[in-house]
Amino acid sequence: MEILMCIVAGLLFAAAVYLMLSKSLLRIIIGTGLLSHGTHLMLLTMGGLKTGAAPVLGEHASSYTDPIPQALILTAIVISFGVTAVFLVIAYRAYQELGTDNMEQLKGMETDD
Amino acid sequence: MINLPILPILFPLLAAVLLMFLSKSVKAQRIVSVIASAATVAAAWAVMLKVKSEGIQTVDMGSWPAPFGITLVSDMLSILLVLTASIITLCVVLYSFRSIGSGREAFYYYPIVQFLLVGVNGSFTTGDIFNLFVFFEIMLMSSYVLIVIGGTKVQLRESIKYILVNVISSAIFVIAVGYLYSVTGSLNMAHISSRISEINDEPIITVLAILFLIVFGLKGGIFPLYFWLPGSYAAPPAPILALFGALLTKVGVYAILRTYTLFFYHDQPFTHDILALLALLTMVAGSIGALAYKDVKQILIYNIIIAVGVLLFGIAVMTEESIAGTIFYLVHDMIIKAGLFLLGGIMIYIAGTSNLNKMGGLIRHYPALGWTFLVASFALAGIPPLSGFTGKLLIVRAGFESGEYVGAIVVLLSSLAVLYSVVNLFMAVFWKKPEVPLPETNKQTASLFIPAAALVILSVLYGVGTEAVYPYVMQAVEALIHPEIYIDAVLKE
Amino acid sequence: MSLLHWAILAPFIMAIFVPFLRKKAASIHTGWFVLILPVVLFGTFLQYLPVTTNNDSVMQTASWIPSLGINFTVYMDGLSLLFALLISGIGSLVVLYSIYYLSKTKESLHHFYVYLLMFMGSMLGVVLSDNVIMLYMFWEFTSISSFLLIAYWYDRERSRYGALKSMLITVFGGLMMLGGFLVLSIMGNTFSIRELAAQATELNEHPLFLLAMILVLLGAFTKSAQFPFYIWLPDAMEAPTPVSAYLHSATMVKAGIYLVARFSPIFAFSGYWFWIVGTVGLFTMVWASFNAVKQTDLKGILAFSTVSQLGLIMSLLGIGAASLHFDSLDDNLFTTAVIAAIFHLINHATFKGSLFMVVGIIDHETGTRDIRKLGGLMSFMPITFTLSVIGAFSMAGLPPFNGFLSKEMFFLSMVQLMELNLFNIDTWAVLFPVLAWVGSVFTFIYSMIIVFKVFTGKFQPEKLEKKPHEAPVGMLISPIILALLVVVFGLFPNLLSYSLIQPAAAAIVPSIIPPGEQLYVNIYFWHGINAELLMTIGVVAVGILLYKFMPKWVRVYEYFPGKITLNQFYNAGLYAAERGSNAITNAYMTGFIRTYLVYIFAFFIAALGFTMWAKDAFRYDASAVAPIGLYEGCLIIVLLAATLTILMAKSRLTSIISLGAVGYTVSLFFVIFRAPDLALTQLVIETVSTALFLLCFYHLPKLSRHAEKRRFQAGNAIIAAGVGIIVTLLGISAHSSKFFASINEYYIENTYEKAGGENMVNVILVDFRGFDTLFEIAVLSVAALGIYGLIKLRLEKGGETNENK
Repeated sequence: MEILMCIVAGLLFAAAVYLMLSKSLLRIIIGTGLLSHGTHLMLLTMGGLKTGAAPVLGEHASSYTDPIPQALILTAIVISFGVTAVFLVIAYRAYQELGTDNMEQLKGMETDD
Repeated sequence: MINLPILPILFPLLAAVLLMFLSKSVKAQRIVSVIASAATVAAAWAVMLKVKSEGIQTVDMGSWPAPFGITLVSDMLSILLVLTASIITLCVVLYSFRSIGSGREAFYYYPIVQFLLVGVNGSFTTGDIFNLFVFFEIMLMSSYVLIVIGGTKVQLRESIKYILVNVISSAIFVIAVGYLYSVTGSLNMAHISSRISEINDEPIITVLAILFLIVFGLKGGIFPLYFWLPGSYAAPPAPILALFGALLTKVGVYAILRTYTLFFYHDQPFTHDILALLALLTMVAGSIGALAYKDVKQILIYNIIIAVGVLLFGIAVMTEESIAGTIFYLVHDMIIKAGLFLLGGIMIYIAGTSNLNKMGGLIRHYPALGWTFLVASFALAGIPPLSGFTGKLLIVRAGFESGEYVGAIVVLLSSLAVLYSVVNLFMAVFWKKPEVPLPETNKQTASLFIPAAALVILSVLYGVGTEAVYPYVMQAVEALIHPEIYIDAVLKE
Repeated sequence: MSLLHWAILAPFIMAIFVPFLRKKAASIHTGWFVLILPVVLFGTFLQYLPVTTNNDSVMQTASWIPSLGINFTVYMDGLSLLFALLISGIGSLVVLYSIYYLSKTKESLHHFYVYLLMFMGSMLGVVLSDNVIMLYMFWEFTSISSFLLIAYWYDRERSRYGALKSMLITVFGGLMMLGGFLVLSIMGNTFSIRELAAQATELNEHPLFLLAMILVLLGAFTKSAQFPFYIWLPDAMEAPTPVSAYLHSATMVKAGIYLVARFSPIFAFSGYWFWIVGTVGLFTMVWASFNAVKQTDLKGILAFSTVSQLGLIMSLLGIGAASLHFDSLDDNLFTTAVIAAIFHLINHATFKGSLFMVVGIIDHETGTRDIRKLGGLMSFMPITFTLSVIGAFSMAGLPPFNGFLSKEMFFLSMVQLMELNLFNIDTWAVLFPVLAWVGSVFTFIYSMIIVFKVFTGKFQPEKLEKKPHEAPVGMLISPIILALLVVVFGLFPNLLSYSLIQPAAAAIVPSIIPPGEQLYVNIYFWHGINAELLMTIGVVAVGILLYKFMPKWVRVYEYFPGKITLNQFYNAGLYAAERGSNAITNAYMTGFIRTYLVYIFAFFIAALGFTMWAKDAFRYDASAVAPIGLYEGCLIIVLLAATLTILMAKSRLTSIISLGAVGYTVSLFFVIFRAPDLALTQLVIETVSTALFLLCFYHLPKLSRHAEKRRFQAGNAIIAAGVGIIVTLLGISAHSSKFFASINEYYIENTYEKAGGENMVNVILVDFRGFDTLFEIAVLSVAALGIYGLIKLRLEKGGETNENK
């Protein structure tokens, strides 16, 4: 299962990278969303899957799954939500100000003032 | 005062929270910002003295013993960088009064600067690899907001690129932490270090070393990962640029320094050779960039990259002497870069442009600015007795000693590129007759100049007073060269 | 801190007060105040004469960075004293001269004197420091103060060009020299020159010896304007003439000579030293004298002449190294070269200093230095004429001036080489005197040009800006003193023999002098008819002929194409550096984020792929994996289908909804993998995010894909696949390399007892790792502030386009 999940996460990464390399801002942001899903699945996989009951003591199981990756993922989910939100608003404002969502038209050379 | 090391993180955090509620009064915000920044500097100073006298200070958050809780670790390296970052923030805050504009001031500029400092100081201090990620995120989130605050076209355009690159780097960071957790079963950096040294030369560790290098290299701006940096850094106004240039890239360099001395020192012929190669390419690429532009901001920004190359080379050589040089140079570079960017900001303010071809003749009305900039330029190029020299001396000497002749000579030549780029800048801005005469307005720059000059003076003192700094740096080196010291202090074995 | 330390620091301290003097005592020329210092210093240094005459030395240390072995150690021996006297002596004369040369009202005198004092202090520091790091520091200071002095008239383009050029070349040399010092310090484990010299024999066998020598010599050759680095010196003539006389002829350019002399005890035993220093010096001497003849600017002639003379001294020091290979002092021929080097160094300072001042007077009184415009000035400026005759004849090597004596000794040294059987010199030896003779012929020619093109011939008042007349007395004092010295040293050379020359020469070749003994220095006019006298006669005869028939052969210079000169090389190099780097930078800095991402991902794939391959790091261990269930299989299919939909989607709505689908599938995964808290959080967050996406992109254009070429897509696909594969392989390897039990056991055991909670994930979040959560909230707050600011604050709409308004 873990091997399979590694592959799934890899596929999500690949899809995310593909999207981020495109020209459309929306697709890029969707790409970042996929990226964080891939990240979280990979993180979860790294702790081992289905090695026991859910990490809640009330269940009185003999073994539990690793709670650490879950805690980390929770933190990461919230943070990436914050980033996505800011990114979206910036994209929205950029579209308003600059009139395009095509990254190729958002080059802007460093030398211009 | 057992929990001293947390104060340089706590003060700016509390200040930020307080400032969020003071958004109506710019005056109150300024006062609170200055007091909080000064308090942070004082706290950092106190911690430094404590570390000096009693060795590494650790705080187990929530009193959970390491490696199970999160441990803050103030070793000498951390606290030196925390102190430097806090001083720079104080100067930037003072500089901002007259330059950042009331619009930005009303929209949470000050609390976000404090949050940035939380992130930076936290990153320097934390002893937990995932917590490092969290502090990175605070720092990055603050930088996203700072880069875009004001919402000008350039800012919006560049912030998209900036955020995208950092989202990718954060994602790689998280999976890297995941891999590392899978291999070592721990998140505490000291614990990871001791476990890695038990398994020694496993190839997976080498791969992880490169992976972390990519993560931190993206932040630090190493070749070939820095391409996003010049454009993004040039977008925001000078004080924000100064914070970015002085602090953000250095956090990346710090993280490389920390991980490459604490985790990844077992396969040096491979990892450190790659690091050395990248360091050289970074210096060359930075030099090429610094020569390529006729723009105040761009020239200074590419100088950041050159400095990162020098620092990486110091880490790559990895002897006691080179690490000492790296630390000397790291602190120097933070101070002088902040100073130079602030001075550059004044120059842009006076001339109304950052394009060298349109500037000129500033020496007549602003001699103090000119000479201060020239001194700072020489410090940047590592002319003794100014601050860049000691670090460069040690790095080059260590390079020669380790047989890295090419690298050592490239470091020396990079100084020439630095000198050429900044002296050219100086001549164009201050000496050359402007093609179009600048408007004859004697703009008031004293309140901008003082914090900038303070940083330059600090840098001069840091160089001349090397002997006084030396024991502190050597204590920092000690803990880096002998990871057991760090491990024992954290795990209390 | 001893007297010598203060002597070095005094000019710097004085420099601080100069601007105040300029303000407070504006009616008195600032130079008068400044003049006091070098005079006092000269007197101070004279007191060391008795010490050094006995080949003794004084050493005093003040600590600066003792931890690194960097200390402010001053060391006074014969060599240092000679230079210190030159610096303060010529310094006094130059300051005196400058008082009349620079107008009190028109020039910003305080700048001039601050720079000049900085230079004086730095130069004293160079010649008095024993610690190589201090020497390097002062060395760079001289480069900087020279930069500032050349750019004294900074709004002139040529001044800035010359200043930058001199700084780049000399600082380059300085940096290489620093490298050499550091290599030496690794070899000898000290920064002290004396301690290094004491280990000279061991250092000679060290594998890094040659590297150190070449690096140090790069410093010396750049500073002393040796071929091919001399090109900065002619452009440095943009500086005010007192500066040219002082820095670019008498002192700073001799720092390289000093360095070679000072490091002779360490390096000179090696054959490489003999060859490199000797030939570079000699070639420079010939090349520069040949080029001096075609110059039309008087200062240009003097600049090339200086380069040539420095080459002469350099070659003497190189050849003098041969003396180290003979044990006995009595019949050691090659000490002559060392003595000649020192003697000529002094002579050059006197005659070249006076010539520069003469040229300054001509410039000052006629408004030009172009020999095509000058002529027939003899009757207007008789004193100046006399001075120029003395200086130029001495330079040409004519009796009875001091230049004749040292030129004879130079010839003698070169002729003696034919008797040397060291370093495989064999038949090559004959080239040395030949080249020396050719160089001297050209030296003779340009010396004559200086005198006769300016003072004789046709007077052309229409080409001059001013009506020429004799200079004021004050301006003449300094060159008169120097010209007197030229004559005195010419007639009574033995005034110098054992007071200055012997101690200085002894410091260069200490190893061959037995304790208590001295080098034999006896300089006299008449040696009888010998080789060197015949050579001098030849120089004069051929020189006069060539001078007379100059128009006939001057076209030779046209055969040297202007395109391939070293100057062109420098200019083109700088131009190429700027243009080239601009082109390179623009090529990769496209501003297009995709380009940057391609670099990043390409590096990601290459670096990690290479490492995994090189280290054979891939591990596959399926023994500890969980079985694959039906649910999971279905979920994976759903997940991939949704992902594929996003990739293919033509409308924004489809892609946003598919992204939501991926998110919900992930939360189902969390359920299956026993992570209830995660599942709930993911569900909530996913819902909110999707709503946000829809909200923000409500106003965006319908078409979410911009026309993308197939190649573009294929490239993206390859990179994407690469990243995916690397991430997967790393994941599998990491999972298959679990070397340790996780720290999670602790949480399972302690969650209830110590933290009082049942849900481990919650307890970890709020207690064990509560710190994370605290700052996670901070991140969200920053995001909230940022979003608020983004929506509300719009600087550009309010007309505030620039910062700082």
